[in-house]
Amino acid sequence: MAKSEVKNKIRRLRFENGEMTQQQLADKVGVTRQTIIAIEAGKYSPSLTLAFKVARTFGVKVEDIFQYEDESS
Amino acid sequence: MNRTQKGAWCILIASLFLILFGILLFTEIVILKNLFTSLHRFVALLLFSFMVPLFIFLRKKQSTAEVESDERDRLIIKRAILVSFVCVWIMLAAVCIIPRFIVGYTGSIAVWALSLINFVIFLVAMFIYSAAILVQYGWRDKDGEK
Repeated sequence: MAKSEVKNKIRRLRFENGEMTQQQLADKVGVTRQTIIAIEAGKYSPSLTLAFKVARTFGVKVEDIFQYEDESS
Repeated sequence: MNRTQKGAWCILIASLFLILFGILLFTEIVILKNLFTSLHRFVALLLFSFMVPLFIFLRKKQSTAEVESDERDRLIIKRAILVSFVCVWIMLAAVCIIPRFIVGYTGSIAVWALSLINFVIFLVAMFIYSAAILVQYGWRDKDGEK
């Protein structure tokens, strides 16, 4: 899968929230650990539902985690 | 490794094994005229003996709360199905064209050969399906904690 243009701060937020593991986050949002790995690496852009679930887990807004990087800007 | 990946590895190995088993069976029965009749039975027994550990491997979870599959898995499976479906059509087209060059326009082909061809197409499709899944996950995916 090609790298997406959506950057994220999941990795940083995990460590800021008691060094949460990828597996713990995956279990909380209801996906597999491989999906969290892929999102963190920018290989996969999550659906809106999943993005909201991740944001709710960390108690932040979606835009605080995911940023869209427009190539033209 | 999640369940979709495990399943893909199982299908890949099983389809490869069945293709090889089919070649062995074909060689034994058609070419060698039943010279080694016990060999295919031994290979079949070997295949079934792997079923139990394979089932345990498939059911084992990464964590107690692990989901069966998620949105990314479904997307990967969808693409793999599309790839194998396209390959099936290409193979069917090839099967319609190639015999014309081998047996000629007015030649004939045994009925069992057609069944065998269909079965091989199915196995190859399964092989492509599982390979497509594994390629999308990444063959060398470290799968480690970061």
